[in-house]
Amino acid sequence: MISLIRSEIYKIGKQSKTLYALAAILIIEGFVIMSAYYQGAGIIDLLLDNLKESFEFQGNLLNGNLIIYLILNSLWFHVPLILMIIISGFLTSEYKDKTIETVMLQPVSKLNFILSKYIVSIIFTLLIVLILAVTTFLISYWIFGYGDLVVYLDGLNFFESEDASYRLINAFLSGTITMVFFSVVSLTLAVILKDATKTWIVAAIFLICSNLLLKIDFNNEIINELFFSKLTDSWQYFFYYEVPYSSIYFKNILLLAYSILVMVIGVLIFKRRDIQG
Amino acid sequence: MILEARNICKSYGSLEVLKNVTIECHKGKIYGLIGANGAGKTTLFRILLGLIKQNSGSIAIDSEGIKPIGGIVEKPALYGYLSAFGNLKVFAQIQRLKLTKELFNESMHQVGLSPERKDAVKNYSLGMKQRLGLAIALLNNPDCIVLDEPFSGLDPMGISALHSLIKKLSRENQITIIISSHIVSELADLCDMLYVLYDGEIIKSGSAARLLKENVTTFKISGKNLEMSEVLKNVDAVFMNKSVLVSPKESTISEVLQRLIEEGVEVTSCIPQTDLKALFGREGV
Repeated sequence: MISLIRSEIYKIGKQSKTLYALAAILIIEGFVIMSAYYQGAGIIDLLLDNLKESFEFQGNLLNGNLIIYLILNSLWFHVPLILMIIISGFLTSEYKDKTIETVMLQPVSKLNFILSKYIVSIIFTLLIVLILAVTTFLISYWIFGYGDLVVYLDGLNFFESEDASYRLINAFLSGTITMVFFSVVSLTLAVILKDATKTWIVAAIFLICSNLLLKIDFNNEIINELFFSKLTDSWQYFFYYEVPYSSIYFKNILLLAYSILVMVIGVLIFKRRDIQG
Repeated sequence: MILEARNICKSYGSLEVLKNVTIECHKGKIYGLIGANGAGKTTLFRILLGLIKQNSGSIAIDSEGIKPIGGIVEKPALYGYLSAFGNLKVFAQIQRLKLTKELFNESMHQVGLSPERKDAVKNYSLGMKQRLGLAIALLNNPDCIVLDEPFSGLDPMGISALHSLIKKLSRENQITIIISSHIVSELADLCDMLYVLYDGEIIKSGSAARLLKENVTTFKISGKNLEMSEVLKNVDAVFMNKSVLVSPKESTISEVLQRLIEEGVEVTSCIPQTDLKALFGREGV
């Protein structure tokens, strides 16, 4: 298994699409920073014009913490979409090029092969989110400096600079679990569909539907609590004044359980199926 | 016996692709599997290689090696963005084989490729990819190699080189080789045994020489003054440019040649033509 994981990492490292994924993440980050740099101050002034007459804000509200929060929000759609495209490609490209046949012609078990794909996908996801987080923190603080964070979440919430940094770090950590879920789903879709384009379309639809379903109230407490799409927003909970830790833990553990379930389904389907590119 | 596939059946829905196929292979021999397109050759190979499961029947491989069987199905599938070294490294690593510089050089030389090339495999010709695919198939020294249409798309030089390589692997390394093709001439002087697959069934099997001889009904004779020959007028002869196709019925080809020489015709060659319809079909079974 270790040798399979190592060879998967070697292949990913040699593929240009890995660089494209990194570049895409950094371009999104760059756009947010650039637009904030040129237009951010005006928008903030417009939003907080009335409040500024009643409250005193410490430092510039267009600061590193706000930029990090804006980039953090790419975890809603942009980052999972890129991850789903790249990670499903780890398998669909093997089907397209028929290299999966050459791999399975070697003394390698199907179970170990597909498990190594899942493990490497999770490692890749963790790495991408880590790179996004580290570069975001470094660049945002470097260009925009520190300051209080203002967030609109069921109303305007204000956090002092140090508290804001702590909440942002935790939000990235919690968001990573959501990203892992979407990555695992995309690889399972690749197992089922085999074809890259079909997998991309279905993955994008899954992501959009998941985000839409998150906002829908099902009028059923069990569904509202346990349905997978209701679990993907726990990272936002760090921007309530009182952080609902128990709810965050519950959601993340359940989302991990969903990820394992989706992975088991993918493994079983892959094992049952014939290998045909 | 190194490999025995017995009563293999495979269906896709109501379509029966293989019907009770049985083949037996011995160590160090070269076996040919011939049949028209769609006869079921590739499906049988995929089953032998474990890529797809048969509906019924059994496969036994008498080998204690890490890798009892290797092969290439259709085209060699390689990681185009990796070099030859990168490809061999990946495929060696997944079977827990350490690819040292020595092993890499040895593998490349074995299949007649230069270990000096560092560029991506996507730049390789089909012949070179076939060779690299073979080098990958040979990793961990399998006892049996299955090659599906290995000559497809190769130029005459490539075909000749691959012929030599296959013969060398069989003779020197005692590897059992099973090759499929729908082009009989490619297998005629390579294989010890032939299996003919027709519509998912093995309809003929035996020594390659015997099977091909049994299905030769026409000879292509080349020479000077063929059109003047009285002998050729009495047999079913089809004249072509400087040659003639003869299908002798009442006399043997040696009798026809003898009479042509007596007539003063200068025969330069006589090439037997395998009747593919008879060989691939049920006629004469």
